[in-house]
This record gives sequence, C-alpha cells and structure tokens, in this order.
Amino acid sequence: MQTAGDKRLSIVWIVLSGVTLVSWWIGFDHHTGPLRLNAPITFGVLSLAALKSRIIIQEFMEARRAPRLLRRITDAWLLLLLLSLLGIYSIGMGFHL
Amino acid sequence: MSASIAAAVTPRPSGLPGRIAWHWRHDPKAELWIIWYAMVFFYILFGIVFVLLTHVIPPPQPYWDPPRVVQWFNDHHYGLLSGFGIIFLVTGLVAACNALIGYSIWRMSVSPAFAYSYIAIYSLSATPGLLLTAIALTVGAMRPERNPDLIYWLYDMAIMCFDGTMGVFLIGTLVWMIAILIDKNNVFPKWFGYLNICNLITEFVVAPAWVFKSGVFSWNGTIAFWIDTVVFAIFTVAFITLLKRVIVRDDFGTGPLPDGDARTAIHPEA
Amino acid sequence: MRPMSNAAMNAPGSAEANSSLGNAGLRIPGQPDMWAFVMFEALIFSSYFIVYMIRRAMAGDHFLPAQEHLSQGFGVANTLILLLSSWFMAGSVRSAREGKYDIALRQVLLTAACGLLFVGLKLLEWSDKIGEGLTLSTNEFFSFYYFLTAIHVLHVLFGFVVLAVAARELRSPPRRSQEIVETCATYWHMIDFLWVIIFALLYVMR
Repeated sequence: MQTAGDKRLSIVWIVLSGVTLVSWWIGFDHHTGPLRLNAPITFGVLSLAALKSRIIIQEFMEARRAPRLLRRITDAWLLLLLLSLLGIYSIGMGFHL
Repeated sequence: MSASIAAAVTPRPSGLPGRIAWHWRHDPKAELWIIWYAMVFFYILFGIVFVLLTHVIPPPQPYWDPPRVVQWFNDHHYGLLSGFGIIFLVTGLVAACNALIGYSIWRMSVSPAFAYSYIAIYSLSATPGLLLTAIALTVGAMRPERNPDLIYWLYDMAIMCFDGTMGVFLIGTLVWMIAILIDKNNVFPKWFGYLNICNLITEFVVAPAWVFKSGVFSWNGTIAFWIDTVVFAIFTVAFITLLKRVIVRDDFGTGPLPDGDARTAIHPEA
Repeated sequence: MRPMSNAAMNAPGSAEANSSLGNAGLRIPGQPDMWAFVMFEALIFSSYFIVYMIRRAMAGDHFLPAQEHLSQGFGVANTLILLLSSWFMAGSVRSAREGKYDIALRQVLLTAACGLLFVGLKLLEWSDKIGEGLTLSTNEFFSFYYFLTAIHVLHVLFGFVVLAVAARELRSPPRRSQEIVETCATYWHMIDFLWVIIFALLYVMR
C-alpha cells in the first residue's frame, strides 16, 4: 500500500519533469534567427503549464482525495486563467498580423 | 441585532433611540462598540476625503510636468482644503482602529508585547502615510503663487509618502499575523491570519512606484495601485467584520472565545 | 414550536449536505483556511499574469527581443528543482501519515534544501542579468520579469518559515499534528504551481 503510494508520487514527479523538458524543447533551439510570435508554441506551452499545475494540485496537494467542490474550484480557476491568457494572446495576434 | 439574549436580563425597548439608550446603560460592551463605530466612521470618512474630495485616490498622473501639477492643485483647491481640513480634525481616530486591534491581540493567548508592538508601529505609520501627505498637499494648495518647481516637489513627496512608505505597515501586519497564527484562543480564524500574508505582499508590490513614472508599476498603475488597492480593500472589510465578530463573541474572560454570541455562553439557560 | 421546526428543517438538510459532499473518505488535506488562502493568492497572481499578457499583446512582438536575453537553462533548472522539492514534501506528508517521522523530517529538510538552491540560482540569475545591464527599468519585459520573480521568491522565503513549522511538528513526539504538516505542504506546493505558470509565461511562450 505505502509503496504503491510512493511509487505513484514518483511517477507523478517523473511525468512533471518530463513535461517540463518537453515544453523546454518546444520553446528552445528551433530558432536560428530572432524569436518570433508563434501561436502554436504559446498555446502548447501555456496548456502544458496549466496541465502541470493541475497535476501538482491533484496529486501533490492531494486534491483528488478532497471533496468534489475543491476539485471543481481549482479546475475552474486553471481553465479560466488558461482561456483568458490564450484569449488575450489571440486578440493581440489579430492586431499585429 | 445580537442583543436578544441579554434582553432577558433587562427589557430592551424597541425603536432605534430606545435601543441605543439601552445599550448605553446596560451593554457591558458599549465601550468596545463605541470604538468599533469610531473605526468604521474613520474609514468611511477617509474614503470620502481621499476619493471624492481631494482626488488623491486614485492618484493623479506621476508623469505630469510642473505646470500641469500646478493646474491640478488649482482644479482641486477647495476639495484639497476641505478634505484635509477634515483629516486634520479626525486623524486621531486612527487610534480607535489601532486600539481595537490591539485589544483583539491582547485578548489572544499570546504575550501582550504583540499588542504593544502593533499599536506602536501603526501609530508611527499614520505619520508618513496620512499626515505628511495631507500637510504637503495642503501646503501646495494654500500657496498657489509659489514656484511651480516647488509645488511639483510637494506633489511628488506627498504621493510618495502616501504610496511608498509601506515598510512600517509591513512589520505591523507581520506582528498581527504571527499573533493570530499562534493564538490558541481562537480570536480570529486562521484564514484571516493567512490573508495577512497577501496584505503584507502588497507592501512590496508598491515598491516599484519609486522607479516608474508611467505604466502598470507606477503609483497609479494597474498592478502597483489598482490590484494592491483591491487586495487591501478586501483585507480591510474582512478585518472590520471580524473585529465585530470578536466583540460579539467576547466573554471578557481569558480562555478561548466562544463560537457564537458570548451572552449565550454566559447565560446558557436564556 | 421553534425547536420542532428547526429539527424538521435540519434533518433533510444535513442528510443532503452529506450526500452532496459525495462521500466516504474524501476530506480536505490540511486546514481549509490554507486552501482559502491558496485560492486567494492564485487569484492575485492570475491578475498579474493577465495584466502581463495584456501588456505583452499590446506590445506586439516587442517583448520577444528582450525575452531572448533570458537564460532558458536557469528557468528549466529552477522548475526541475521546485518540482523535486514538491515531490519531497508530498513524500513527507505520506511518511508522517504512516508514522515514519524520521523519514518525514528528512524529506522536509530536503524540501528546504531544494528551496535554498532555487533562491540561490535566482540570485545568480538576477546578478547575471544586472551584470549584462538588464535591470527593472531596462524595458517592460524585464520590469515584469523582475517583478514576477521577486514576488514569487518572497513567497519562497516565507515558505522556509512554513517548512520550519512543519519540521518542528515532526521533531517532537507530543506535537506531530498531521493537519499542520499537510497545511504546510499545501503552502509549499502553491509556490510550485505558481512558478510553473511563471516559467511558461516568461521563459518559453512566444
């Protein structure tokens, strides 16, 4: 039982670190010239950040074992934040394309 | 509203004047209530003066040149004079607020030294945060013929005093927060203790206002002013409401505060 | 009459309340008070993030040349360090729950060590940037960079106090409140998820 729980935490940590490296890889090194506005990369890395935050809240903070209300509130906050950020970014792109 | 149980001891008349008279004579908490209402009165007056009369909240532009600043003083001449006239008369009321919070700390299981430090720090902070601002802006408004550069200097100093001298508040908030978190008498809920951290952080968030003359970090910027002010307003409303709860719950003892109205705890048969 | 009506009102109400919570075994880890604080902090930080995004969107691609001066290495290393610290802290809560207080205490100390490393790297990164002449007022991107990272580091510094409280609980047998340890962990993980978002916004987004 306890080892299963520890194993789960370790897997969570490996996944989170892996996602971090992936988002680094997405945002890094493919540019030879100066950085340019890039919606796919931005959408990708911000969504991955929201996903990582959700995993931290659900697993490390043990929200998955908390009453449903808490999970709903945290998920709603993350979703709203992500949508607002991406929405603002998209509007900005619209002006500058 | 919460007096129904004590009314069992001495009949309480109906009607507002009757009720006030009754509380005056029979309510053992009348003194605390006077202080609480004095505090509420002060905050309301503070809001009216700074927002409506003197237009210092939200603050005017930090990037104006001296002639524009002189014009601002002229535009708000009477507002500044009447508003700060009121402030000079009632500044002493900050003592009510400090005293009541000091009392709440004194009622905790912590050393009264916390209450003394809180009162000392917040009494000190009223000087730069409120009085210096009021004095500098009044001087500016009273001497319109003075060199615009000097008027500009007064304006800059006044608003930086108001916005920038947050360090004293910071330690005061820290003292209150520690007292709440280690208190065993349950005087304030723990979430309010944690909320103090948010208020404490706002004191850092205004710091860039010293550097920037425009943008979101300037003294009227979205982050350094508006978000900070919203957090501070939430904090203020929370502590005024909670102080009211403390007075209602207070049983004048030394142990943990009862959860409900203290009078139910004193007279359980009522 | 009143007690009766109260009883009549309460009975179905409380049963409903129980069923809507949904369940056996579900509970909020640590004090709900700390969760309220975490959500309030999350909202304050969200407002900073949104203001940042608005300024960034208004500036078109003006933020990008400034962003090029950030060292991705620092950002990634700090993210990995904080994730590691959170892993230790989550492990500590689990160990304490199982009564393995020695291990739990060691995990809290490892969490603090990661936190120190994080702050150390942050100071190194800042001095690096300042050495390159990139300061708070160099351009708007760097204003946000210093502001967001500094406010976050303040939370980390406060986190050391929180970890000390957890360590104090774990050290002496008469205390050892699981609730307080979980409350401290909740605070520490907040630092982690806020950093994850700051990392994406400052270092990797385009």
